[in-house]
Amino acid sequence: MFMSDGGMAILSWRAAWGIARRDLNRQFRGLRLLLVCLFLGVGALAAIGSLTGAIRGELDAQGQVLLGGDFEVEVYQRPLSEAENAFLARYGDLSPGMRMQAMVSAGEAASPVELKAVAPNWPMYGRLTLADGSVAGDLPQGSAWIAQGVADRLAIGPGDSFTLGTLPLKVAGIIGEEPDRLSEGFTLGQTVIVGLDVPQAAGLTQPGAMYESKTRVRFAGADDPAAVEEALLEEFPENGLDVRTRDRASPGAERFVGRMGEFLTLVGLAALVIAGIGIGLGVSSYLEARRAGIATLKILGATSSDIARIYTLQIGAAALAGSLAGLAAGVLVTPLLGSALGELLPVAAGVTVDVLALLRAAAFGLLIALVFAAPPVLRARCFPAMALMRERVAPLGAGSWRTALVPVGFGLAGIAALALVGSPTPLLSAGFMGGAVVLLGLLALLGWAIRWAARKLPRPANPIWRAALANLHRPGAATGALVTALGFGLSAFVLLAAVQTSLDGNIRRSVPAIAPDYFVLDLPKARVGEFMTMVEAASPDAEIMSTPTLRGSVIAYGPAAQPNVVSEMDELPEGAWGLSGERGLTYSVDVPPGNVLTQGEWWPAMYRGEPLVSVDEDLATAAGLKLGDIITISVLGVQKTARIASFRRLDWESMGFNYVFVFSPNTLADAPHNVAATVSFAGGVVPPGLLRQLAQTFPSSSVIEVGPILREARGILDQVSLAILAAASVAVLAGVAVLLGAIAAARAARIYDTVILRVLGASRGQLLGLQFAEFGLLTAVLAGVALALGTGLGWLVITQLFEFDWLPDWPRILMVLGAGLVLVLGFAFAASLPVLRARPAAALRSL
Amino acid sequence: MTTPPADQPAILARDLRLTLGEGSAAVEILKGIDLTVPAGQTLALLGPSGSGKSSLMAVLTGLERATSGTLQVAGADFAALNEDALALARRGRIGIVLQAFHLLPTMTAQENVVTPMELAGMPQAWARAAEELEAVGLGHRLTHYPAQLSGGEQQRVAIARALAPRPPLIFGDEPTGNLDAATGHAIIEVLLARRADTGATLVIITHDRELASLCDRVVTLGDGMIVSDVHV
Repeated sequence: MFMSDGGMAILSWRAAWGIARRDLNRQFRGLRLLLVCLFLGVGALAAIGSLTGAIRGELDAQGQVLLGGDFEVEVYQRPLSEAENAFLARYGDLSPGMRMQAMVSAGEAASPVELKAVAPNWPMYGRLTLADGSVAGDLPQGSAWIAQGVADRLAIGPGDSFTLGTLPLKVAGIIGEEPDRLSEGFTLGQTVIVGLDVPQAAGLTQPGAMYESKTRVRFAGADDPAAVEEALLEEFPENGLDVRTRDRASPGAERFVGRMGEFLTLVGLAALVIAGIGIGLGVSSYLEARRAGIATLKILGATSSDIARIYTLQIGAAALAGSLAGLAAGVLVTPLLGSALGELLPVAAGVTVDVLALLRAAAFGLLIALVFAAPPVLRARCFPAMALMRERVAPLGAGSWRTALVPVGFGLAGIAALALVGSPTPLLSAGFMGGAVVLLGLLALLGWAIRWAARKLPRPANPIWRAALANLHRPGAATGALVTALGFGLSAFVLLAAVQTSLDGNIRRSVPAIAPDYFVLDLPKARVGEFMTMVEAASPDAEIMSTPTLRGSVIAYGPAAQPNVVSEMDELPEGAWGLSGERGLTYSVDVPPGNVLTQGEWWPAMYRGEPLVSVDEDLATAAGLKLGDIITISVLGVQKTARIASFRRLDWESMGFNYVFVFSPNTLADAPHNVAATVSFAGGVVPPGLLRQLAQTFPSSSVIEVGPILREARGILDQVSLAILAAASVAVLAGVAVLLGAIAAARAARIYDTVILRVLGASRGQLLGLQFAEFGLLTAVLAGVALALGTGLGWLVITQLFEFDWLPDWPRILMVLGAGLVLVLGFAFAASLPVLRARPAAALRSL
Repeated sequence: MTTPPADQPAILARDLRLTLGEGSAAVEILKGIDLTVPAGQTLALLGPSGSGKSSLMAVLTGLERATSGTLQVAGADFAALNEDALALARRGRIGIVLQAFHLLPTMTAQENVVTPMELAGMPQAWARAAEELEAVGLGHRLTHYPAQLSGGEQQRVAIARALAPRPPLIFGDEPTGNLDAATGHAIIEVLLARRADTGATLVIITHDRELASLCDRVVTLGDGMIVSDVHV
């Protein structure tokens, strides 16, 4: 006779794995719901992470091409000075350029354009590709490359002539791909590329004209862009120079990708939480089915810790398999996602393996699995061995639910840390997660309430309805889990549809009603009257507003005795964005329309005293400005100091001109400048031919049309919505997986019911009716929940967060919800068909 | 815990009581059982349904704790142990054969037999499992799953599983209850032969007086109490 060593209390992990592996079905039978849920959730997160990583990697790798150099210096309304050029030339070759709004015309057609003037050595990195696929060579004198949109609008092609301002030019080719397009940021018109001397020849660079000069540097040596930037700004601290380097060539695109990626990750994480409900349900069903096996192991001497180890290993193996499959799918689906998002993405993304993103997705998946699988596993370890011998068992010290708190708490803390660490907007992420938790809590409560109500409702006389109602509250019914899982996904669908259609409604209806039709830049101040006469002749009821426009940067601010010098500050106060870089400036005799004076006094009409300025009250609060403090600005290299006479509240919603600094006329009127104007046509009807007339009469001015910009904004909104909808549909799919899992888990009970009803004489049609009744009740409840929650949250987002009008497109919302419900019902019926097909005789033998 | 000395009884129960449920729903299942089973004895527990046979076996094997009384099994004080300690106490010391076999359906015959030895951390468990299956006549069925075995074969696997760790104490809860008469006899022969080989103490619960007569001693229960105790 031999005995065990006696000292061995807990099965080793290795031995536990030996038993777990043998007990685990190779096709993961019983754990497929867990597998599918993790596959969906981790796959979505992996795809989002891979796509974001691929784009970031591409942006980083193409930094020089996107910037058109290693280093770029931007300044408004002037070229770089000789001293600035000489400083930069120490590091390598220079390629000066300019960018401005302008007007082009051909025959009777005219079009506002984004004019880009480049030196002969442009582009220093990358190549300009023309629409016919050829690489552009040198730009011949007196010609231009134009965007397809300009060619279409002017009805011209290569070799044709057109006019820029007063200068005739020839089309050298249609632009296909512009290498440094991305770093140019958002443009207000289609691009026309001309030689560096053209703007001046066309009269577009007169003193006061609004243009931006951009000088790129290609380093000759291995200089560090950050060090060059520091040296440049130290040498010219007050010249208003903006610098970009190859490692942040397109900060706007990077910010967009970062934020979008973060938001999609959070939506994906919410989908993973839904998947978690499926995981919990799947693991519970799996362990329930293994009650006898667990009891047998206990009879054979397994302790509750051994049971926990064995089943943790099994579930861990399945979770790992599901997560790995999800990661693979995520990587493979990235190019598809990339092409679906199309032009929304700044660069193309192919198949990429972003190890960090994949690890993050897998970690999210495994932590969610831990949170949702730990409670059933810890419950299972308390299944009594005696259950094999009889149902009624005196408990042998059943484990407490408190034991689950540790793994669940650890998992939740891990998820929160993973989501927040490295997030560009941790507060927003925390808010989103908090909101999702509240929403899930509400849904869980609702699920409980529905079960309770179904139990309390009077029993219908019709046996089919009675059975359907009973299925919602019978012991083991997954109504709560289903309402939470499906309700979340469908509510997200409704929320997205409500927000998207409301935003679209605002852009389509409200914004055009408020926004002017034209913004006109660089009107010579002496010709404003002529401009107004021309517009009023074409459209007598047009509303025209004009304001002087200058650009300048804040040099110093604060108490006159001890002002803060901006160039000496490490960091500007939070929210004081108006103090950084070059800003639009103006002067005015009167308080600008729509502005409200909140402190101080406005200057008299013919004021001639000390220069004064009125400041936006929000900026004043952020920067700690007080009445009587001073602001020193640099305009075209000349410094001017003004005393703060008043604070104003701006009306940002007016979509007209809004300036944070408005000076008394005597401060700036002598500086060379032009005038900007807004034009709102009666009923939004733009008079035909006016654009052409303006282009001919005011060749140095440019018109920005609001309509095409709004159309572009709607296009971007559509694509962003598509991306979010794609992420949210994973939540619905996870919900469907939960539904299928719940149906599968209750299969034995359903077959029993069906068979008994068949024995009692129910027809197949009546049984089908029972399924209709049960799932119909459930989907009706879900529809109500999704509609109420989704539109309620949508209203909050639109009216409180965006402060827009609530303009949902109800038919579209109902269509989206209907599609979701049809999907749910379809899957529910498909999963129930085997139950309906159960043959009474065969089923009764096995019951 | 160590193996009890040979002169120490395998089971020593005094005034064992078991009550299930609470308050007005409480039912007294065992009503003061006194039982001493010497090491190496074969004992049959007889009695009608509801007499408390299975409950007594559950308490004696540590699957259920007695409400009161003292109980020494294989040298361990079962009354003082919690569930996990009872599971540890069973390891390698108590083998149990159940009426419904309760093989793990996902494991082969050999894997089923090896599992308790693995739980007990015994060396050469796989070889022993093969030997034990050979001994019960299933040497050719090592890699078969329970669903691929007949009822009799499944019960043989269950016997091999109970005996493989060489426990000093074996319990059988109506081990032939799910089998036809011929197969049942064959199974009892195997069980008694293997017990004789190992010298273990055997306690069998049965309705079958013929089977009971094959044991050294027959204890009859009625309404939770021992109503007769006969040495054959």
